[in-house]
Amino acid sequence: MPSLLDPKERAAALEAFAGTVSGREKPSRYWKIDVEAIVPPSNGAAAAGTVSIQRPTPVIACDLHAALRNHAPLLERAFRRAIEPRHKFAHLALAHADLGAFVYVPAGCAADEPIVIRYAAKPGETIFPYTVVLAEAGSRATVVERLEAGAGSFVCGVAEIVTGESADLTYASAQFAPSDASVLFTRAARPGRDARVTWASAELGGKLSLSDLAVNISEPGIDAGITALFFPTGSEHVDVLSNIDHRVGDSTSRTLVKSAASGSGQGRYLGNIRIAANAQHSDASLRDDSLLLSKGAHIDSIPALEIGANDVKAFHGATVGALDEESIFYMTSRGIERAEAERMIALGFFEPAIDRFPTEELRDELRAALKEKVTS
Amino acid sequence: MADQGLRITGLRCSVEGNEILKGIDLAVEPGRVHALMGPNGSGKSTLAFSLTGHPKYDVTAGSATLDGEDLLALAPDKRARAGLFLSFQYPAAIPGVKVPNFLFAARQAVRPGELTPAKFRALLLERMDVLGMDPSFLGRYLNDGFSGGEKKRLEMLQMAVIAPKYAILDETDSGLDIDAVKDVGETVKALRASDEGRATGFLVITHYPRILQHVTADVVHVMIDGRIVKTGGPDLANRVEREGYDVIREETGALA
Repeated sequence: MPSLLDPKERAAALEAFAGTVSGREKPSRYWKIDVEAIVPPSNGAAAAGTVSIQRPTPVIACDLHAALRNHAPLLERAFRRAIEPRHKFAHLALAHADLGAFVYVPAGCAADEPIVIRYAAKPGETIFPYTVVLAEAGSRATVVERLEAGAGSFVCGVAEIVTGESADLTYASAQFAPSDASVLFTRAARPGRDARVTWASAELGGKLSLSDLAVNISEPGIDAGITALFFPTGSEHVDVLSNIDHRVGDSTSRTLVKSAASGSGQGRYLGNIRIAANAQHSDASLRDDSLLLSKGAHIDSIPALEIGANDVKAFHGATVGALDEESIFYMTSRGIERAEAERMIALGFFEPAIDRFPTEELRDELRAALKEKVTS
Repeated sequence: MADQGLRITGLRCSVEGNEILKGIDLAVEPGRVHALMGPNGSGKSTLAFSLTGHPKYDVTAGSATLDGEDLLALAPDKRARAGLFLSFQYPAAIPGVKVPNFLFAARQAVRPGELTPAKFRALLLERMDVLGMDPSFLGRYLNDGFSGGEKKRLEMLQMAVIAPKYAILDETDSGLDIDAVKDVGETVKALRASDEGRATGFLVITHYPRILQHVTADVVHVMIDGRIVKTGGPDLANRVEREGYDVIREETGALA
């Protein structure tokens, strides 16, 4: 059977994993976990984890092994074409790439039903799910990635999107992992000219979750979107990174991050927008808001705009705070109990981000999970 | 019953250590309209917030009862459920909370279980019509991105669907054009004409007498420097318009 990577490449990726120091903050009063020191509890047996895929008919979607057998030239055009590892866990996932899914959206194909990819890790299992999406010119599709992570499981994965001209691809992921699981994902997209690519990612579980979302804009006319929401409760840690790299001009990017923390939940968001010197007429916005719902909760929000061109629009806005007392008073003055008012305001806070997720079913699931977190 | 009404006695209130209300006596009877007029900074809004229980407003003396119930002992939500409503001058914007969801939650809190969601929606659309509000309001987040006039209309809509026992309108007319002030008047009229609002008592706080052309006051009070210095009939509002607050201030010897 053909293999995704030869042993040399796998060894090189493992070496890169061990050798990459991403300069992450060391444990401190506010950040209690050493991301650099994390190693999977096991290397992952070759057969660890399962993937199941649900797809509308014109779309090809299969596991990576079937893709290698039946669609190798297509897979070749997207596999390792979008990802530019900034983080060591991208190397780790690559080194173990085996379990995974390949989605191919033919030219001009508009898929109304989402393509749903489900990864499952049994309790205590270590899995390395790897999703590759190739969307041809003028196609439109939505991918929803779901994760069923067992207790104490360790999930380290990658998703890559490559599109042709004027494609429109939305990729949503939401994880509600148990509070002793670790979930680390690296997701990168390389849209074609005039294409639209949207990441929507929700981290609502896991003792440690890491989500690294990137769009590399190397063609003009691209509309890139990143939406992330996270909510560490209890003693959970969430680390979210977003990176939009405007390498050429005449493109638009919208980043929206909404987070809350309660208990002694810890969260960190690092948001990067880079506009290269020749990327004139870029239009980038980054908005991140954090809500602290307890004294022990902590969220660091570190946006960074690196702007090399002079004829661009770049917006950044950030807030961190507790629930607004005037808003609470307003709602209670209408007879709504304080606890319910707090719940409504906190859920409402996430709504603009939830709105950007596909399918009413997923949005309702997010609302239900957030409600539970707000109430707990 | 002797204790019917929104009854305020000897009310004193401080904000951050400064005494704003220096002993207020006022009683709004069911079904009646009282106007509370006064210059800026006289303490009108402070009275509204101290009655509704804003945490920053510290009542230091006096009492306030609603149909005999001690308001001051209650948390803000319980005051609303007792039947008190305040139309805010500057209502909070709450992104992510849809207008109809909020209105339904408020209605259910104050008048639990009387309406099914479908009947509630019918009521909502009917009351919106009186206010000349477009149904698209129902798709928007609470006061989020609303103009000043839209916020005031939404306050009136809330009053109309909650149908409180006592409604305080805190300068609901300020910043509104003539048509919008008329719509406020129509909303009050429609509420008073409904079964639910027949006995609603109103305290209309205003700086200008303009709104009183659309909402006829039975009693007019003038507040200056934290005290009610004059109480009279509708004519008092006309006098205020003609002569201004300074004349009344001098006449009553209210302290500057």
